[in-house]
Amino acid sequence: MSSIKIIRYLGLISLICGVLIVGAKVLTEDRIRVNQEIINRDSIAQLLPGADKQLTFIVQPSGELAPLTNVDAKGQKLFAGYDKSGKLLGLVFEASERGYGDMISALYAYDPGSKTIIGFTVVEMKETPGLGDKIGKDPDFLANFRKLDTSKPILAVKHGTKKNPWEIDAISGATISSRAVGRMLQKSIAEIAPIIERNRQIIERGNK
Amino acid sequence: MSQPQDNPLLNGLWKENPTFVQVLGMCPTLAVTNSVRNALAMGLATTFVLVCSNGLISMIRHQVPKQVRIATYIAIAATAVTVTDYVVKAISIDIYKALGPFLALIVVNCIILARAEAFAAKNSVGRSLMDGLGNGLGFTLGLTLLGTVREVLGAGSFLGLSLFGPHFEPWVLFLLPPGGFITLAAWLLIFAWYKERKTKPAPSAQDLLDARS
Repeated sequence: MSSIKIIRYLGLISLICGVLIVGAKVLTEDRIRVNQEIINRDSIAQLLPGADKQLTFIVQPSGELAPLTNVDAKGQKLFAGYDKSGKLLGLVFEASERGYGDMISALYAYDPGSKTIIGFTVVEMKETPGLGDKIGKDPDFLANFRKLDTSKPILAVKHGTKKNPWEIDAISGATISSRAVGRMLQKSIAEIAPIIERNRQIIERGNK
Repeated sequence: MSQPQDNPLLNGLWKENPTFVQVLGMCPTLAVTNSVRNALAMGLATTFVLVCSNGLISMIRHQVPKQVRIATYIAIAATAVTVTDYVVKAISIDIYKALGPFLALIVVNCIILARAEAFAAKNSVGRSLMDGLGNGLGFTLGLTLLGTVREVLGAGSFLGLSLFGPHFEPWVLFLLPPGGFITLAAWLLIFAWYKERKTKPAPSAQDLLDARS
Protein backbone atom coordinates (compact mmCIF):
# COMPACT_ATOMS: atom_id res chain seq x y z
CA MET A 1 0.00 0.00 0.00
CA SER A 2 1.38 3.44 -0.95
CA SER A 3 2.32 6.05 1.64
CA ILE A 4 -0.36 8.44 0.43
CA LYS A 5 -3.04 5.83 1.00
CA ILE A 6 -1.73 5.08 4.49
CA ILE A 7 -1.69 8.76 5.40
CA ARG A 8 -5.22 9.19 4.08
CA TYR A 9 -6.31 6.16 6.08
CA LEU A 10 -4.73 7.43 9.30
CA GLY A 11 -6.32 10.84 8.74
CA LEU A 12 -9.72 9.20 8.38
CA ILE A 13 -9.26 7.14 11.56
CA SER A 14 -8.19 10.23 13.51
CA LEU A 15 -11.20 12.15 12.21
CA ILE A 16 -13.61 9.40 13.30
CA CYS A 17 -11.97 9.15 16.72
CA GLY A 18 -12.10 12.93 17.13
CA VAL A 19 -15.80 13.04 16.32
CA LEU A 20 -16.51 10.26 18.83
CA ILE A 21 -14.61 12.05 21.61
CA VAL A 22 -16.25 15.42 20.98
CA GLY A 23 -19.64 13.70 20.88
CA ALA A 24 -19.05 12.06 24.25
CA LYS A 25 -17.87 15.33 25.77
CA VAL A 26 -20.88 17.28 24.57
CA LEU A 27 -23.28 14.59 25.81
CA THR A 28 -21.80 14.27 29.30
CA GLU A 29 -20.74 17.89 29.99
CA ASP A 30 -23.89 18.98 31.80
CA ARG A 31 -24.13 15.82 33.90
CA ILE A 32 -20.51 16.22 35.02
CA ARG A 33 -21.05 19.84 36.08
CA VAL A 34 -24.20 18.92 38.00
CA ASN A 35 -22.34 16.05 39.75
CA GLN A 36 -19.53 18.36 40.80
CA GLU A 37 -22.00 20.90 42.19
CA ILE A 38 -23.91 18.22 44.10
CA ILE A 39 -20.68 17.02 45.70
CA ASN A 40 -19.72 20.56 46.75
CA ARG A 41 -23.20 21.29 48.03
CA ASP A 42 -23.37 18.02 49.97
CA SER A 43 -20.05 18.51 51.69
CA ILE A 44 -20.97 22.07 52.67
CA ALA A 45 -24.34 20.91 53.99
CA GLN A 46 -22.54 18.21 55.97
CA LEU A 47 -20.14 20.76 57.50
CA LEU A 48 -22.91 23.21 58.38
CA PRO A 49 -25.89 21.10 59.45
CA GLY A 50 -29.13 23.04 59.33
CA ALA A 51 -27.95 25.40 56.61
CA ASP A 52 -30.99 26.37 54.60
CA LYS A 53 -29.34 28.69 52.15
CA GLN A 54 -25.84 28.92 50.73
CA LEU A 55 -24.05 31.90 49.27
CA THR A 56 -20.67 31.85 47.56
CA PHE A 57 -18.27 34.75 47.85
CA ILE A 58 -14.94 35.28 46.19
CA VAL A 59 -11.94 37.11 47.60
CA GLN A 60 -10.99 39.92 45.23
CA PRO A 61 -7.31 40.79 44.65
CA SER A 62 -7.92 43.94 46.72
CA GLY A 63 -8.86 41.80 49.75
CA GLU A 64 -12.55 42.67 49.47
CA LEU A 65 -15.30 40.08 49.25
CA ALA A 66 -17.79 39.99 46.43
CA PRO A 67 -20.67 37.60 45.73
CA LEU A 68 -19.62 35.06 43.14
CA THR A 69 -21.17 35.79 39.78
CA ASN A 70 -18.89 33.99 37.34
CA VAL A 71 -18.57 30.28 38.19
CA ASP A 72 -15.15 29.99 36.57
CA ALA A 73 -13.67 32.97 38.42
CA LYS A 74 -10.23 32.34 39.92
CA GLY A 75 -9.47 33.06 43.55
CA GLN A 76 -10.16 31.79 47.08
CA LYS A 77 -13.83 30.93 47.36
CA LEU A 78 -15.82 31.21 50.53
CA PHE A 79 -19.12 29.46 51.09
CA ALA A 80 -21.48 30.94 53.66
CA GLY A 81 -24.39 28.95 55.12
CA TYR A 82 -27.47 30.60 56.66
CA ASP A 83 -30.37 29.12 58.59
CA LYS A 84 -34.06 29.67 57.82
CA SER A 85 -34.17 33.09 59.49
CA GLY A 86 -31.10 34.22 57.54
CA LYS A 87 -28.71 33.99 60.47
CA LEU A 88 -25.12 33.13 59.56
CA LEU A 89 -24.25 29.57 60.66
CA GLY A 90 -20.69 29.46 59.46
CA LEU A 91 -18.28 29.79 56.57
CA VAL A 92 -16.68 27.00 54.59
CA PHE A 93 -13.26 27.31 52.94
CA GLU A 94 -11.08 25.18 50.77
CA ALA A 95 -7.55 24.52 51.99
CA SER A 96 -4.68 22.29 50.93
CA GLU A 97 -1.31 21.21 52.20
CA ARG A 98 1.36 18.68 51.28
CA GLY A 99 0.77 15.48 53.23
CA TYR A 100 2.68 12.21 53.32
CA GLY A 101 1.54 11.04 49.90
CA ASP A 102 0.56 14.06 47.89
CA MET A 103 -1.42 17.25 48.38
CA ILE A 104 -4.29 16.88 50.83
CA SER A 105 -7.18 19.12 49.94
CA ALA A 106 -9.97 19.69 52.38
CA LEU A 107 -12.97 21.79 53.26
CA TYR A 108 -13.45 23.19 56.75
CA ALA A 109 -16.14 25.20 58.46
CA TYR A 110 -15.39 28.30 60.52
CA ASP A 111 -17.59 30.25 62.87
CA PRO A 112 -16.49 33.92 62.76
CA GLY A 113 -18.48 34.71 65.92
CA SER A 114 -16.63 32.37 68.30
CA LYS A 115 -13.52 32.23 66.06
CA THR A 116 -13.54 28.44 66.11
CA ILE A 117 -13.33 25.75 63.48
CA ILE A 118 -16.54 23.74 63.61
CA GLY A 119 -16.05 21.08 60.94
CA PHE A 120 -13.49 19.46 58.69
CA THR A 121 -13.71 17.07 55.76
CA VAL A 122 -11.08 15.77 53.34
CA VAL A 123 -11.90 16.26 49.67
CA GLU A 124 -8.91 14.58 48.08
CA MET A 125 -5.82 12.80 49.37
CA LYS A 126 -3.34 10.09 48.52
CA GLU A 127 -2.33 9.24 52.10
CA THR A 128 -1.33 5.68 52.97
CA PRO A 129 -4.47 3.51 53.13
CA GLY A 130 -5.14 2.25 56.62
CA LEU A 131 -2.77 4.74 58.27
CA GLY A 132 -2.64 8.31 56.93
CA ASP A 133 -6.03 8.14 55.30
CA LYS A 134 -7.62 7.91 58.75
CA ILE A 135 -7.55 11.72 58.80
CA GLY A 136 -10.60 11.52 56.56
CA LYS A 137 -12.74 9.15 58.65
CA ASP A 138 -11.36 8.49 62.15
CA PRO A 139 -14.20 9.71 64.46
CA ASP A 140 -11.84 10.60 67.32
CA PHE A 141 -9.68 12.68 65.02
CA LEU A 142 -12.64 14.44 63.41
CA ALA A 143 -13.96 15.25 66.90
CA ASN A 144 -11.00 17.66 67.17
CA PHE A 145 -12.76 19.93 64.73
CA ARG A 146 -16.07 20.20 66.51
CA LYS A 147 -14.76 23.23 68.38
CA LEU A 148 -11.16 24.08 67.58
CA ASP A 149 -9.95 27.41 68.89
CA THR A 150 -8.08 29.58 66.38
CA SER A 151 -7.05 32.43 68.70
CA LYS A 152 -3.65 30.70 69.13
CA PRO A 153 -1.70 28.95 66.34
CA ILE A 154 -3.26 25.56 65.65
CA LEU A 155 -0.90 22.70 66.46
CA ALA A 156 -1.15 18.95 66.02
CA VAL A 157 0.17 17.22 69.14
CA LYS A 158 1.06 13.58 69.83
CA HIS A 159 -1.91 11.28 70.34
CA GLY A 160 -3.32 11.58 73.84
CA THR A 161 -1.48 14.77 74.83
CA LYS A 162 -4.06 17.35 73.73
CA LYS A 163 -4.56 19.86 76.56
CA ASN A 164 -5.57 23.15 74.97
CA PRO A 165 -8.54 24.01 72.77
CA TRP A 166 -6.25 25.05 69.87
CA GLU A 167 -4.45 21.70 69.74
CA ILE A 168 -5.29 18.77 67.48
CA ASP A 169 -4.99 15.29 68.97
CA ALA A 170 -3.02 13.49 66.22
CA ILE A 171 -3.77 9.91 65.17
CA SER A 172 -1.09 7.50 66.33
CA GLY A 173 0.47 6.00 63.21
CA ALA A 174 -0.60 8.97 61.13
CA THR A 175 1.40 11.75 62.74
CA ILE A 176 2.71 13.23 59.50
CA SER A 177 -0.77 13.40 57.98
CA SER A 178 -2.25 14.82 61.20
CA ARG A 179 0.45 17.49 61.34
CA ALA A 180 -0.22 18.37 57.71
CA VAL A 181 -3.86 19.00 58.65
CA GLY A 182 -2.72 21.28 61.47
CA ARG A 183 -0.41 23.25 59.17
CA MET A 184 -3.11 23.46 56.51
CA LEU A 185 -5.67 24.93 58.91
CA GLN A 186 -3.20 27.31 60.55
CA LYS A 187 -1.99 28.69 57.19
CA SER A 188 -5.48 29.03 55.82
CA ILE A 189 -6.89 30.70 58.95
CA ALA A 190 -3.99 33.15 59.18
CA GLU A 191 -4.69 34.17 55.63
CA ILE A 192 -8.46 34.33 55.68
CA ALA A 193 -9.32 35.59 59.18
CA PRO A 194 -8.36 39.25 58.53
CA ILE A 195 -10.37 39.25 55.30
CA ILE A 196 -13.40 37.91 57.16
CA GLU A 197 -13.06 40.51 59.92
CA ARG A 198 -12.95 43.29 57.35
CA ASN A 199 -15.99 41.93 55.51
CA ARG A 200 -18.09 40.74 58.47
CA GLN A 201 -21.03 42.93 57.49
CA ILE A 202 -21.23 41.73 53.90
CA ILE A 203 -21.09 38.11 55.06
CA GLU A 204 -23.62 38.47 57.87
CA ARG A 205 -26.07 40.41 55.77
CA GLY A 206 -26.21 37.57 53.24
CA ASN A 207 -28.73 38.72 50.69
CA LYS A 208 -31.34 39.85 53.16
CA MET B 1 -4.46 -19.86 21.05
CA SER B 2 -8.25 -19.99 20.79
CA GLN B 3 -9.76 -22.63 18.52
CA PRO B 4 -12.57 -21.47 16.20
CA GLN B 5 -15.08 -23.79 17.87
CA ASP B 6 -14.32 -22.36 21.32
CA ASN B 7 -16.66 -19.98 22.99
CA PRO B 8 -14.76 -16.67 23.12
CA LEU B 9 -16.85 -15.43 26.08
CA LEU B 10 -16.03 -18.38 28.34
CA ASN B 11 -12.45 -18.47 27.12
CA GLY B 12 -11.81 -14.94 28.29
CA LEU B 13 -13.75 -15.35 31.48
CA TRP B 14 -12.14 -18.56 32.64
CA LYS B 15 -9.86 -20.68 30.43
CA GLU B 16 -7.71 -17.74 29.32
CA ASN B 17 -8.46 -15.45 32.24
CA PRO B 18 -6.43 -12.26 31.65
CA THR B 19 -5.28 -12.00 35.25
CA PHE B 20 -4.62 -15.58 36.26
CA VAL B 21 -3.78 -17.30 32.97
CA GLN B 22 -2.51 -14.65 30.55
CA VAL B 23 -1.08 -12.61 33.49
CA LEU B 24 -1.75 -9.35 31.62
CA GLY B 25 -2.47 -5.87 32.98
CA MET B 26 -0.64 -6.41 36.25
CA CYS B 27 -0.18 -2.69 36.92
CA PRO B 28 -3.87 -1.89 37.55
CA THR B 29 -4.30 -5.35 39.09
CA LEU B 30 -1.88 -4.49 41.87
CA ALA B 31 -2.66 -0.79 42.12
CA VAL B 32 -6.43 -0.44 42.38
CA THR B 33 -7.43 -3.62 44.19
CA ASN B 34 -7.27 -2.32 47.76
CA SER B 35 -11.06 -2.24 47.90
CA VAL B 36 -13.79 -4.28 46.22
CA ARG B 37 -15.49 -1.13 44.96
CA ASN B 38 -12.36 0.15 43.19
CA ALA B 39 -11.66 -3.29 41.76
CA LEU B 40 -15.19 -3.62 40.36
CA ALA B 41 -15.15 -0.10 38.91
CA MET B 42 -11.77 -0.59 37.26
CA GLY B 43 -12.82 -4.00 35.91
CA LEU B 44 -16.07 -2.71 34.46
CA ALA B 45 -14.40 0.36 32.93
CA THR B 46 -11.81 -1.89 31.29
CA THR B 47 -14.57 -4.23 30.08
CA PHE B 48 -16.36 -1.31 28.43
CA VAL B 49 -13.17 -0.12 26.71
CA LEU B 50 -12.30 -3.66 25.63
CA VAL B 51 -15.72 -4.32 24.08
CA CYS B 52 -15.65 -0.95 22.23
CA SER B 53 -12.10 -1.34 20.95
CA ASN B 54 -12.52 -5.00 19.98
CA GLY B 55 -15.74 -4.22 18.12
CA LEU B 56 -14.33 -1.22 16.25
CA ILE B 57 -11.07 -2.97 15.38
CA SER B 58 -12.87 -6.05 14.12
CA MET B 59 -15.14 -3.86 12.00
CA ILE B 60 -12.24 -2.29 10.15
CA ARG B 61 -9.93 -5.34 10.21
CA HIS B 62 -9.95 -5.75 6.41
CA GLN B 63 -9.17 -2.09 5.73
CA VAL B 64 -6.30 -1.59 8.20
CA PRO B 65 -2.95 -1.36 6.37
CA LYS B 66 -0.74 -3.75 8.28
CA GLN B 67 2.16 -1.25 8.53
CA VAL B 68 0.11 1.06 10.75
CA ARG B 69 -2.16 -1.40 12.51
CA ILE B 70 -0.68 -0.83 15.98
CA ALA B 71 -1.07 2.95 15.62
CA THR B 72 -4.67 2.40 14.60
CA TYR B 73 -5.37 0.10 17.54
CA ILE B 74 -3.91 2.63 19.96
CA ALA B 75 -5.94 5.50 18.44
CA ILE B 76 -9.11 3.43 18.80
CA ALA B 77 -8.30 2.29 22.34
CA ALA B 78 -7.49 5.89 23.31
CA THR B 79 -10.84 7.05 21.94
CA ALA B 80 -12.68 4.36 23.87
CA VAL B 81 -10.78 5.32 27.04
CA THR B 82 -11.53 9.03 26.66
CA VAL B 83 -15.22 8.32 26.11
CA THR B 84 -15.21 6.04 29.19
CA ASP B 85 -13.50 8.79 31.16
CA TYR B 86 -16.37 11.18 30.44
CA VAL B 87 -19.01 8.53 31.09
CA VAL B 88 -17.52 7.56 34.48
CA LYS B 89 -17.30 11.22 35.47
CA ALA B 90 -20.94 11.67 34.49
CA ILE B 91 -21.98 8.63 36.54
CA SER B 92 -20.03 9.32 39.74
CA ILE B 93 -17.22 11.73 40.55
CA ASP B 94 -16.37 9.62 43.61
CA ILE B 95 -15.58 6.55 41.51
CA TYR B 96 -13.72 8.77 39.06
CA LYS B 97 -11.48 10.07 41.84
CA ALA B 98 -10.87 6.57 43.22
CA LEU B 99 -9.72 5.33 39.82
CA GLY B 100 -7.45 8.36 39.50
CA PRO B 101 -4.73 7.99 36.91
CA PHE B 102 -5.51 4.34 36.24
CA LEU B 103 -8.54 5.14 34.11
CA ALA B 104 -6.37 7.02 31.62
CA LEU B 105 -3.81 4.22 31.81
CA ILE B 106 -6.31 1.67 30.45
CA VAL B 107 -5.09 2.84 27.04
CA VAL B 108 -1.72 1.21 27.62
CA ASN B 109 -3.18 -1.79 29.47
CA CYS B 110 -1.67 -4.66 27.51
CA ILE B 111 -5.00 -6.56 27.57
CA ILE B 112 -6.45 -4.06 25.10
CA LEU B 113 -3.62 -4.39 22.57
CA ALA B 114 -3.25 -8.11 23.17
CA ARG B 115 -6.92 -8.79 22.38
CA ALA B 116 -6.83 -6.40 19.39
CA GLU B 117 -3.80 -8.07 17.85
CA ALA B 118 -4.50 -11.66 18.87
CA PHE B 119 -8.25 -11.80 18.38
CA ALA B 120 -10.17 -8.81 17.00
CA ALA B 121 -7.86 -8.42 13.98
CA LYS B 122 -8.66 -11.98 12.86
CA ASN B 123 -12.25 -12.62 13.91
CA SER B 124 -15.76 -11.49 13.06
CA VAL B 125 -17.35 -8.52 14.85
CA GLY B 126 -19.71 -10.72 16.88
CA ARG B 127 -16.97 -13.03 18.11
CA SER B 128 -14.69 -10.07 18.84
CA LEU B 129 -17.38 -8.40 20.95
CA MET B 130 -17.84 -11.65 22.88
CA ASP B 131 -14.08 -11.95 23.32
CA GLY B 132 -13.91 -8.38 24.61
CA LEU B 133 -16.76 -9.00 27.01
CA GLY B 134 -15.29 -12.32 28.19
CA ASN B 135 -11.82 -10.95 28.77
CA GLY B 136 -13.21 -7.81 30.40
CA LEU B 137 -15.36 -9.83 32.79
CA GLY B 138 -12.46 -12.21 33.39
CA PHE B 139 -10.32 -9.22 34.32
CA THR B 140 -13.10 -7.91 36.56
CA LEU B 141 -13.31 -11.32 38.23
CA GLY B 142 -9.55 -11.33 38.82
CA LEU B 143 -9.56 -7.80 40.26
CA THR B 144 -12.57 -8.53 42.45
CA LEU B 145 -11.01 -11.70 43.88
CA LEU B 146 -7.89 -9.72 44.78
CA GLY B 147 -9.92 -6.80 46.07
CA THR B 148 -12.05 -9.08 48.28
CA VAL B 149 -9.07 -10.68 50.01
CA ARG B 150 -7.31 -7.34 50.46
CA GLU B 151 -10.35 -5.45 51.74
CA VAL B 152 -11.50 -8.22 54.10
CA LEU B 153 -8.04 -8.71 55.64
CA GLY B 154 -6.79 -5.15 55.35
CA ALA B 155 -9.85 -3.18 56.37
CA GLY B 156 -12.16 -5.81 57.86
CA SER B 157 -14.94 -4.88 55.48
CA PHE B 158 -16.55 -5.93 52.20
CA LEU B 159 -17.77 -3.22 49.82
CA GLY B 160 -17.41 -0.79 52.71
CA LEU B 161 -19.62 -2.84 55.07
CA SER B 162 -17.84 -3.68 58.30
CA LEU B 163 -17.62 -7.45 58.78
CA PHE B 164 -16.00 -8.08 62.13
CA GLY B 165 -17.19 -5.24 64.34
CA PRO B 166 -15.16 -2.42 65.88
CA HIS B 167 -12.66 -4.62 67.74
CA PHE B 168 -11.13 -6.13 64.62
CA GLU B 169 -7.53 -5.00 64.18
CA PRO B 170 -7.11 -4.63 60.39
CA TRP B 171 -4.09 -6.18 58.73
CA VAL B 172 -3.04 -2.92 57.10
CA LEU B 173 -0.24 -4.59 55.13
CA PHE B 174 -2.86 -5.95 52.74
CA LEU B 175 -3.95 -2.47 51.69
CA LEU B 176 -0.36 -1.49 50.93
CA PRO B 177 1.54 -2.52 47.78
CA PRO B 178 3.21 -5.59 49.36
CA GLY B 179 -0.24 -6.93 50.19
CA GLY B 180 -1.09 -6.68 46.50
CA PHE B 181 1.87 -8.83 45.52
CA ILE B 182 1.20 -11.38 48.27
CA THR B 183 -2.48 -11.69 47.37
CA LEU B 184 -1.75 -11.96 43.65
CA ALA B 185 0.84 -14.66 44.29
CA ALA B 186 -1.61 -16.60 46.47
CA TRP B 187 -4.34 -16.49 43.81
CA LEU B 188 -1.90 -17.45 41.03
CA LEU B 189 -0.80 -20.39 43.16
CA ILE B 190 -4.39 -21.53 43.66
CA PHE B 191 -5.17 -21.25 39.95
CA ALA B 192 -1.97 -23.02 38.91
CA TRP B 193 -2.65 -25.82 41.38
CA TYR B 194 -6.23 -26.17 40.13
CA LYS B 195 -5.10 -26.27 36.51
CA GLU B 196 -2.48 -28.86 37.23
CA ARG B 197 -5.00 -31.05 39.00
CA LYS B 198 -7.37 -30.78 36.06
CA THR B 199 -4.74 -31.67 33.47
CA LYS B 200 -3.58 -34.64 35.56
CA PRO B 201 -6.84 -36.37 36.42
CA ALA B 202 -7.36 -39.45 38.58
CA PRO B 203 -5.49 -42.10 36.51
CA SER B 204 -1.86 -42.65 37.41
CA ALA B 205 1.09 -41.35 35.41
CA GLN B 206 1.63 -44.78 33.94
CA ASP B 207 -1.88 -44.82 32.47
CA LEU B 208 -1.21 -41.47 30.81
CA LEU B 209 2.01 -42.70 29.28
CA ASP B 210 0.21 -45.79 27.95
CA ALA B 211 -2.53 -43.68 26.48
CA ARG B 212 -0.03 -41.43 24.75
CA SER B 213 2.05 -44.17 23.12
